[in-house]
Amino acid sequence: MIHDDPGWYQRAVFYEVLVRGFYDGDGDGTGDLRGLTEKLDYLEWLGIDCLWLLPFYQSPLRDGGYDISDFFSVLPAYGDIDAAAGFIDEAHRRGIRVVADMVMNHTSDAHPWFQESRQNRDNPKADWYVWNDDDQRWLDARIIFVDSEPSNWTFDQQRGQYYWHRFFHHQPDLNYDNPEVAEAMLDVVRFWLHLGLDGFRLDAVPYMFERDGTNGENLPETHEYLRKVRKTVDDEFPGKVLLAEANQWPADVVDYFGDGDECHMCFHFPLMPRMFMGVRREQRFPIIDILAQTPAIPDGCQWGIFLRNHDELTLEMVSDDERDYMYTEYAKDPLMRRNVGISRRLFPLIENDRKVAELFHAMLFSMPGSPVMYYGDEIGMGDNIYLGDRDGVRTPMQWTPDRNAGFSRADFARLYLPPLMDPVYGYQATNVEAELRDSSSFLHWIKRMLEVRKQHPVLAIGTFEVLEVENPSVLAYLRRGLDADADGHEDIVLCVHNLSRFAQPAEIHLSALAGKQPIELSGRVPFPLVGELPYFITLPGHGFYWFALVDVPEPV
Amino acid sequence: MTIDDELTVLLPDFLARQRWYVGAEPPESVEIIDEVRLAEGPDDQPGLLWLLVRVPGDDAAYQVPVGLRPLDQMEKWLQGKGRSLIGDLDDDDRPLLAYDAMIDPELVPLLLEQAAPGVVEDTTTRALAVEQSNTSVIIGEEVVLKVFRRVHDGPNPDAEVVEALASTSFASTPRPVGTWRRSGRDLAVVRTFLKGSADGWQLAMTSLRDLYDRRLPPAECGGDFAPSSGRLGSLVAQLHLALAAAFGSHEADPARWLEALEAGLDDLASGDGEGLDGLDGPLVARARQRYQSLRGLTGAGMSIRIHGDLHLGQLLRSDDGWFVLDFEGEPRVPSAQRRQPSSPLRDVAGMLRSFHYAAAAALLERNEKGDAELEVLAQAWEDRNGSAFLAAYLNEPGIDDLLPNDDGVLYTILGAFELGKAVYEVGYERAHRPDWLSIPQHAIERLLR
Repeated sequence: MIHDDPGWYQRAVFYEVLVRGFYDGDGDGTGDLRGLTEKLDYLEWLGIDCLWLLPFYQSPLRDGGYDISDFFSVLPAYGDIDAAAGFIDEAHRRGIRVVADMVMNHTSDAHPWFQESRQNRDNPKADWYVWNDDDQRWLDARIIFVDSEPSNWTFDQQRGQYYWHRFFHHQPDLNYDNPEVAEAMLDVVRFWLHLGLDGFRLDAVPYMFERDGTNGENLPETHEYLRKVRKTVDDEFPGKVLLAEANQWPADVVDYFGDGDECHMCFHFPLMPRMFMGVRREQRFPIIDILAQTPAIPDGCQWGIFLRNHDELTLEMVSDDERDYMYTEYAKDPLMRRNVGISRRLFPLIENDRKVAELFHAMLFSMPGSPVMYYGDEIGMGDNIYLGDRDGVRTPMQWTPDRNAGFSRADFARLYLPPLMDPVYGYQATNVEAELRDSSSFLHWIKRMLEVRKQHPVLAIGTFEVLEVENPSVLAYLRRGLDADADGHEDIVLCVHNLSRFAQPAEIHLSALAGKQPIELSGRVPFPLVGELPYFITLPGHGFYWFALVDVPEPV
Repeated sequence: MTIDDELTVLLPDFLARQRWYVGAEPPESVEIIDEVRLAEGPDDQPGLLWLLVRVPGDDAAYQVPVGLRPLDQMEKWLQGKGRSLIGDLDDDDRPLLAYDAMIDPELVPLLLEQAAPGVVEDTTTRALAVEQSNTSVIIGEEVVLKVFRRVHDGPNPDAEVVEALASTSFASTPRPVGTWRRSGRDLAVVRTFLKGSADGWQLAMTSLRDLYDRRLPPAECGGDFAPSSGRLGSLVAQLHLALAAAFGSHEADPARWLEALEAGLDDLASGDGEGLDGLDGPLVARARQRYQSLRGLTGAGMSIRIHGDLHLGQLLRSDDGWFVLDFEGEPRVPSAQRRQPSSPLRDVAGMLRSFHYAAAAALLERNEKGDAELEVLAQAWEDRNGSAFLAAYLNEPGIDDLLPNDDGVLYTILGAFELGKAVYEVGYERAHRPDWLSIPQHAIERLLR
């Protein structure tokens, strides 16, 4: 059951799931809410605290559902409102919360609001979108999908004007300067929270307003509106959470926390490419650099951190030479590149190296923030770069070695996308059933790590302190804080990671904690006491340790 | 006997055990030329007797802060640190232990007080890894106390340069916090401590270990170091511009470099002038000939105060980016000469040599000499990083004003300094690391090819 816990999202492990791709409950070749409901036991077993659903609303699906044509109904292929409510109830019964994507910035051009708005210049919805007589306004606003969109303006024959769109041309931006729009979207928020959703991941928040002489990102008006959304949530639905997708530098992203009066959570975008760089370069500086540039956040807020998600590995937040580097390192085939990112899953990115996957997850689960996993990464799923767009990382979840990866009973040809069938990542080799049987599988490893993480809430909400280590390949830090569950004693966890594939020594300066005993957390093996001299440990290639630093009991 | 008399007897053997002592054998005698009792001791408190000593035939003095504790505490303070033991003394029939006070966490703060009184509250000390010509201790994780062991009359180049740079906009060197000066000699400096840092040598080694293991061209390896080399190139150019601003600059006279370069060669050539540590006579002759190309050279750029001993180990990557340190110059070069202005290209040559050193040392580390594929990769790594460094250096706005206008002249000078550095390295390795002697020897052969 869900317990009343206002700070739940600060400690939660999130799991991003594609309704379409998880499990097909009605045998039509497309995953649905019924199928997802059937798989909740698996997610509970794994130790997931909160599901993040990609858009499941009515949509022509020209942008994976991010082009919503009715905010108040479910895409029929996924189910209906009752199925959504039933799914949420079943999740809650298992102690799992559910947040869902909400696209505030724009709608599909198939949305009735837009259809009405484009009729002429004086209909009731005429000002619900952003119209202009020419396409020369706000030229400072960058074009986000540079691969496919020549301009942020597209001409509409019917109305004889241009409409504004920061994303695809079939996704017109809503006009938030119109109070009717602002209120209508609040009603959308109310509708779903009332139905039981535990919050929203707000898609593309920086672009909601437009102003002359600006690049149209992070405007004060946008923040003002977010405060209004937050107030509505706090007043009417306490305990629900807003998670912002703002792909910006950390120093700009923190603005979306406001003074703790805007979003509860924001994604930390630049950390992820830097983790990849650090491991590839076998040195900690790319990671340390970005953490040092990350400002403190208000009380009650939390970062969302991730390794991979449904979008490309975003390289907007790295410098040009770093981007070139990431391309050459992680996207050798031009097909792997999209816009300004890399569209690959975790395991192919790291050449199916289990040790590296463990290292990445050890960092993900111990760095400041709530980890957001991507469905299938827990079994080491691969991708299919030949599917085009972002579909390569959205193939069906691989449940069994049986037909259609156990995802659907439909004819193969009816599947929304073919499951992976290559010899390494294909469903015959990589699937949940096989990994459940094998206690040394990556799936079991992830489950155990999530258990350990849960036992030490400091890994989620403790202070974060990088430690002195002369070896540049070693990243060591302390997470510490009062442990509410342990009589208010201080809980201290030392995390040490070897970013190199070679064994490395590390002398960690810990004399301030002399006398404590490190207990390795996966096996609870006690290590020698911390003394006045630097604490010396050796790490295997890509190895890591998590230690609890505890007081040695007085001899009786 | 007084304590001083007893110490005079004990110090020759102590000095011979120190890495910062230049001679190979214990000196015949030691003369105490200055002393200060910084702490009385040693009843329940340790004593601290600061000494400056001289040995025959050396124009520099040595700084030895002597710690004094009851002899029965020997095990507690000196276990595993035998090198720091001076010996036992009889003080009023009470046996005393004398040792290098730099290892004593209770005495180091007293030295800090001389250089920078009251700068830190937390005086927890932590020794820095072994250095060659000085001893550094981190205090309170905030500052570094660097005690110069070999002390010359007049300003210490490191103290002088860091103080001068503090008045420029160049911020990529640790900030000076204090200096201990006595009778015209710089004894110790205090600097801000760069947290979480690793030096360029370690980072280059990380890159090279990756390269030799993957056996791919350096540009295709994850650990490619070239972006860092590029950043170092512009950092060194900025350093030179700051040094020129702080110390001034004047038209360079290549003839003066020629003298120093030839002297370096003379030092190494054996008595009969024939060979040079495995380098044959004709090679030495070719080196002399190469130096001659500097004679009569015009438009050689400016002469400025330079770093003087720039290599990857002097560059530190901290959480806040790259920093440059240790402006003392080459330890084997006389102090007065180290402070002489020279061409900024000498530092550039030092860096190019350092890229070669790193690639070669990582190869020796693998003990796979003779593996032709790895040797090709080593060369490729050196070329790639040297080029990235040089390109960024030459692209730095303003640096042209310090350099020769003519590229031919620039590369002639650069080549001569690279050769000069390699010749210096032969002497250094012969004295300190004979296993690495082949590295500079190989470089000389290559440079003269």
